[in-house]
Amino acid sequence: MAILSIRDVTKTFGGLAAVDHVSFDVAEGELVGLIGPNGSGKTTLINMLSGLLPVGGGDILLDGASLLGLSPDRIARRGVLRMFQLTRAFNRISALDNLLVAGRALGLGAEEATRRALTLLEELRIDHVMNLDAGQLSGGQRKLLEFGTCFMVPPRVALLDEPFAAVHPTMRAIMADFVRRRHAEGQTFLLVSHDMPIVKELCPRSVCMNAGAVIADAPTRAVLDDPHVIEAYLGGHAA
Amino acid sequence: MIDNSETRANREFAASLGLLALVALAPLVVANEYWLGVLVVCMYFALQAAGWNLLAGYTGQMSLAPAAFAMIGAYGTGMMAYRYELPFWIGIPTGILASALLGWVLGRVALKLSGPYLGLTTLSFAEIARLIIGNSYDITRGDLGLSVPGIFDARLAYYYLFLAVLVAVQAGIFLTLKSKAGLFLQAIRDDEIAAASRGVPVVRWKVAAFVASSAICGLAGALYAHFAQLISPELGLIMQTGFVISMTVIGGMGTLVGPILGAFLVYLGSEAVRDFGGWHLIVFALLVIVVARFFRDGLWGLVRLAWTRRRAPVPQPAVGTR
Repeated sequence: MAILSIRDVTKTFGGLAAVDHVSFDVAEGELVGLIGPNGSGKTTLINMLSGLLPVGGGDILLDGASLLGLSPDRIARRGVLRMFQLTRAFNRISALDNLLVAGRALGLGAEEATRRALTLLEELRIDHVMNLDAGQLSGGQRKLLEFGTCFMVPPRVALLDEPFAAVHPTMRAIMADFVRRRHAEGQTFLLVSHDMPIVKELCPRSVCMNAGAVIADAPTRAVLDDPHVIEAYLGGHAA
Repeated sequence: MIDNSETRANREFAASLGLLALVALAPLVVANEYWLGVLVVCMYFALQAAGWNLLAGYTGQMSLAPAAFAMIGAYGTGMMAYRYELPFWIGIPTGILASALLGWVLGRVALKLSGPYLGLTTLSFAEIARLIIGNSYDITRGDLGLSVPGIFDARLAYYYLFLAVLVAVQAGIFLTLKSKAGLFLQAIRDDEIAAASRGVPVVRWKVAAFVASSAICGLAGALYAHFAQLISPELGLIMQTGFVISMTVIGGMGTLVGPILGAFLVYLGSEAVRDFGGWHLIVFALLVIVVARFFRDGLWGLVRLAWTRRRAPVPQPAVGTR
């Protein structure tokens, strides 16, 4: 059964369709890759899913209920949690506090939030910097920290926007392992990435967007072999 | 060992209580009525600075209206006494309520604003409030000023009243910082969009910060009205707001100790160089520039840095994971 249903969603900016009648479902426990060249509308779609951009047309359903018109915080409390492409951490509070913000906002008590935050910090191997302000962390550590905030309370759907971009391979491996484990436990993901080897490895299914529209939605290997997808990425005709 | 915003708040609250304990002992050595009065005014500014710091230092909402809210609080109680001959225990809550209510209105108006737009909106609000009070001669006596009855005969009684209120306000802010509210306010300060995306009800907490900050400034103004026994729209001058901001920045913005430390140092310093006329303002303006340029965390930040260095090497940003 679909947890997340994207139905004919459209978004235009000054007459340009950034997202053009996009429809697809994400089923419970699925790990779906969302791929496409730069400017294809992936992040715009994620911004609409998380309530940061108003939906221009169509509908977005979570467990059958529309998310239209809900503020980002209400969407988050319904279980749609996101990670940003450009890391957004709370720079002047500690790494631990960054996680506690998410935990407390999602209804955890102080003790439970602290327990889960410490577990996550250890799992993501950034427990040694938990007392440092997020602004003092390296770019990769900040990325891991933001990644962790999505899992203080297991989300209905985790929207991960380019988690593997511009991070050290060690950290990439930590995040990939984490995603793999949580997916095996039944966590639902929509993963935006340009890292094709990782998408191929992690995501059984992928949706490819180009110029705002879905051009392929199939098992990942089939999507990556799709001539339209190859053309979109390479900007020419597929061999 | 965990060292986060909660443990920092514990340390800063303890330090601010230490500072206020010194203030409590000051009358043992300061018997002079004039200087007792100066210390009371220090506490009036410390209350405003604490209120402004909650909004600007902890929530990141750069309001330019703390003095206007103090003026509204002062006129709230002043009008109750002057027009309706009501006692201070009705007047002071009225002043606080009026400030909180207008803080709520300003908070709702300013919800979507930030940076210079927020600053200009709050400044415009402050000027409108001051001009309305200043020009409503029939109701407020305008620039002629309003007489307000005192509460006590002895200046020392006012001294300890202000001190008790300042301790209570500090305790209130401390408890707020230790709760999830403190985490949420600081998250909003650092990144509103990220806070909302992690489930923080940003609108609710921003408005709450405006209301709480305005109420504290209103409380300061209401108490001051009964202490000074004469109030005028000059209480809400932008220069007064400048004073409050300078005190907080010099003391250490976004810390519990900073506003109190800054209020006492700046106001006592201003009294010390009062004989030099307008020059003392230049000295403080330069001090603000130096602190803003070189010591962003203010004097309390310097104390914290020295303490950290004494205890252990400053932690360096780690390059990789362990």
